[in-house]
Amino acid sequence: MSQAETGWIPVALARDVEPSSSMGTQIHGQEIVVWRDSAGQSHVWEDRCPHRGMRLSFGFVRGNHIACLYHGWEFDTAGQCRKIPAHPELEVPKAIKTVRYASAEAAGMVWVHEAPAEGALPPGLPAAEPVRSLYLDCPAARLVAALREGDGKVRVTGDEGQLLTLDFCGAKLLGGVQPLTEDQCALHLALPAPGADPQAIVDWSEALRRRLEVAPVPDTSAAALAEAVA
Amino acid sequence: MSLRLYDFELDENAYKVRLLLAFLGLDYAKVAMDVFPGTEHKADAFLKLSPVGELPALVDGEVVLFQSEAILAYLARRYDGSGLWLPEGPAALGAVTQWLAFAAHELRAATTARRGALFGVPIDEAATRAAVRAAFRILETHLVMQGLAGRSWLVGDAPTIADIAVFPAFALSRDFGIDHGEYPALRRWLRALRDLPGFIPMPGVPGYH
Repeated sequence: MSQAETGWIPVALARDVEPSSSMGTQIHGQEIVVWRDSAGQSHVWEDRCPHRGMRLSFGFVRGNHIACLYHGWEFDTAGQCRKIPAHPELEVPKAIKTVRYASAEAAGMVWVHEAPAEGALPPGLPAAEPVRSLYLDCPAARLVAALREGDGKVRVTGDEGQLLTLDFCGAKLLGGVQPLTEDQCALHLALPAPGADPQAIVDWSEALRRRLEVAPVPDTSAAALAEAVA
Repeated sequence: MSLRLYDFELDENAYKVRLLLAFLGLDYAKVAMDVFPGTEHKADAFLKLSPVGELPALVDGEVVLFQSEAILAYLARRYDGSGLWLPEGPAALGAVTQWLAFAAHELRAATTARRGALFGVPIDEAATRAAVRAAFRILETHLVMQGLAGRSWLVGDAPTIADIAVFPAFALSRDFGIDHGEYPALRRWLRALRDLPGFIPMPGVPGYH
């Protein structure tokens, strides 16, 4: 989406993934679980228990383990299965592991790297106060195009991969763009410094969504119809 | 005990009343209705209490009520000495009533969607889904705004019967295939409500997280 593809995608505002909780989301149609252990560390994995394929985001976080809703299989922060309640005596085979992704927190957001590999988030992202995550029924490309076009309140002043730097009525605002599916995306908004009214940002974001979710209307102007007839 | 609740374990509207009774620590008699497959809620005896043929109904001495939102209001005014669950002030009372109406009107689509998914009641699935999502977005935005003002509940700084009335629609939405991922503020609110002392689960709403 920009000059500098980094492979890093924001998947939530860090604040919204509370300790000992999990949430399900998607990147490019792939289901992932974002969870935070009781010590405060966040993790991003494929949203599948290796046992029966149940979504781990439906499960429960217990200490530094996440447990599947179906049969209670527990996985440690390395993705290694540590407990199978139906077989308490069993030493769990090392091969039972989840698929983990490299993840990090910056700019008030949780980030995941697209490839299941180790990696480090590009340095230099500022700390930021969360405002809200806006979920839209429109492709990420349409969202980004609309932001670049500007709308009187907001314009894009910079970008690095999926992170847009916005000017909101004179204040700096960060917008992390998450492509969920072909037709859905999220915009994670955070303020790197005080100066803008967060409630005004929420109002603007609602109007933006209403505008973007309207399906493109065919051109029925007199000129277009005349052209079609001719 | 004089309180009698006509109840069905899987009914989200009856659950609202069970929740408030639990938060208030009130003893009551539960009359378990055979809704599926018995349709006891459409039988003459029950229609006398609840002419709409919907659960729950509450009997408290001379008082007979149907519609869960009305029952919540009655129980709060009658038995909550603290006045927290149904505040007195005009603005707060108005706001609570607004969300009670929202629960009964806009969130009716969630009940419809759930009955379609769990009990095979025929529904217009696409339209119902769209209506549920629209309602959830309104709640989400309201809770985002509340959060920015340092508040965690629908009205003011403490939980009210408005939170209870709205709770099951969202807490049970996975029953009809709407996940919680798109609603981070609602998710945090759900966890906060589940952490209140006295909270009780129902099938589909675990008591722990």
